[in-house]
Amino acid sequence: MDRTQALLNCLYHEAELLDEGRYREWLALLAEDVRYRVPVRVTKERGPEGGLSGVMEGMYHLDEDYTSLEMRVARLETGFAWAEDPPSRLRHFVTNVRIGEPRPTPKGEESEVRSNLLIFRSRWDRPDYTFLSAERRDIWRREEGGWRLACRTVILDSTTLPTHNLSFFF
Amino acid sequence: MARVKTGLSPRLSRMLEELQEGVEDGLVPAWIFNDPELFELEKERIFSRSWVYLAHESEIPKPGDYVLRYVLDNPYILVRGEDGVVRALLDMCRHRGMRVCRAELGNASHFRCPFHGWTYRNDGRLIGVPAEREAFGQDLNKEEWGLVPIPRLEAFDGMIFGNLDPGAPSLEEWLGDIRWYLELVTKRSPQGLEVLGPPQRWVVNTDWKLALETFLSDSYHTLMTHRSLIELGIAPKDAKYAMYGEQIHIPGKGHGSMVVGAPPGAKLPPFWGYPEEMLERARTSYPTREQFETARETRILLVTLFPNFSFHNPIRKPDHKYQGAVPMLTFRVWHPLGPGRIEIFSWALVEKDAPEWFKEKTRLSYLRFFGSSGTFEQDDTEIWSHVAHNAATPQGRHLRFNYRMGLKLEPDPNWPGPGVAYGLNFTDANMRNFHRRYLEMLLA
Repeated sequence: MDRTQALLNCLYHEAELLDEGRYREWLALLAEDVRYRVPVRVTKERGPEGGLSGVMEGMYHLDEDYTSLEMRVARLETGFAWAEDPPSRLRHFVTNVRIGEPRPTPKGEESEVRSNLLIFRSRWDRPDYTFLSAERRDIWRREEGGWRLACRTVILDSTTLPTHNLSFFF
Repeated sequence: MARVKTGLSPRLSRMLEELQEGVEDGLVPAWIFNDPELFELEKERIFSRSWVYLAHESEIPKPGDYVLRYVLDNPYILVRGEDGVVRALLDMCRHRGMRVCRAELGNASHFRCPFHGWTYRNDGRLIGVPAEREAFGQDLNKEEWGLVPIPRLEAFDGMIFGNLDPGAPSLEEWLGDIRWYLELVTKRSPQGLEVLGPPQRWVVNTDWKLALETFLSDSYHTLMTHRSLIELGIAPKDAKYAMYGEQIHIPGKGHGSMVVGAPPGAKLPPFWGYPEEMLERARTSYPTREQFETARETRILLVTLFPNFSFHNPIRKPDHKYQGAVPMLTFRVWHPLGPGRIEIFSWALVEKDAPEWFKEKTRLSYLRFFGSSGTFEQDDTEIWSHVAHNAATPQGRHLRFNYRMGLKLEPDPNWPGPGVAYGLNFTDANMRNFHRRYLEMLLA
């Protein structure tokens, strides 16, 4: 299988794991030194050169490493994580995938992968739902046993979040 | 207490009488947490007359720095002028009402309206009107057409508050004795606090009073709502951990605090677990010896100001495997958007002179447990939204909630701080005090 197809498969497989709440399997897709961040976004004027506006360096909605992501998963397993029990019905739509050139690093071959993400979220028996739109800027690394997510920055398209918590993963 | 006064609809008068009758007996009707008519009254009689938290001075340290903040849905540019003075200017052009500020934060010497180009200096003065002579001749007195400042703006130890009521009492008088408890945080270091970046902002379908209550008096919810964190060893093993502390309210003001120590037998470091050097600085930084001694025994501190500001300052650590303690501090505004709907503004803060390693770790202690993705707070917002939903249902709205916890407790005569203190934190005393003040303002 070529590199592009392998990475696409990774993204789709990951989305399936997140949609189905198979979080231990999802953790297995992460590199041990993973950096996982969702910066706060604010409204800003257009810069002279365009580009993304208002992605803040100083504050995040999530700033995680493997240990803290594992903690969030372990919490869901306690039976007392009310934010996701009953679980949200989530659907991760992954599109506009852009795969960069492979790059050798001391830790293995790495590739930048950008994708657009739309998350649908529905809870309880209410007919209403939430959408969150974002771009994911990933670095995937080829390790023994397959590709692992080494770094993810999620560029949200909301400033004020339209949902009552971020109890799920992007 | 004053009788429900006229000027209210018969429906609202009847409802407020029910609340008034129930408060002292610890019975509060559910409808106060989601009712459109009551919300309109809250806007008029509470949020238009109260000191509302806007920003911390460290958010706008330099001349020209600004952040955009709201009192109700009035947008205010909170900006430091070239003269160093902080002002809150209504973000509405005096000519035709367009917003003159197009960012949530930044630095600007002036604000120019995109509609017809009226331009204001960052102190609010109108300095430019396109084609002024042709359009207005000699008749436009620009001094009369500056951006409208908020009626009142005052600060306490770097915390900036605004008030829409020109006749409101001073902030100092408004705060009263709660200052002693605010100072446990604001004067922990002689350098004071700084924000760690801009606030997280998100919306929750709930009532501002429900959110506030969790931080003002509801130590009791921790054993069930936050049981997942007890299971993970993040919160103390004793599920009643939040009970072991003092609950203090300031009569007549509506403010309150919870000062929680270590559960019996639990080995928790003193002074929230802050680094030794910060404890040493606090020894001389606090205005009184009583404050230092209280702080040394504190592991969790919450302060809530009437009507919608809270801070939470617990011992914590960045994750379940981290060895040692890294406390965190978050400031909150429970911003009312409508009946049954709020926006949360949530900041992380730290002492300016804290060691750099600590600043990095305390940011993580905050992010993993509080704020939009916080593993404590996720469960709070989930639960608050269902309570508010039920509170608007035809049957549910008439239920009266049980606020009787601690109704028979006697005040603790040995507590060193001001206010009325109870030596057992499992009590609704702070919320009963809040409701008294709430009614007083609604009826006045």
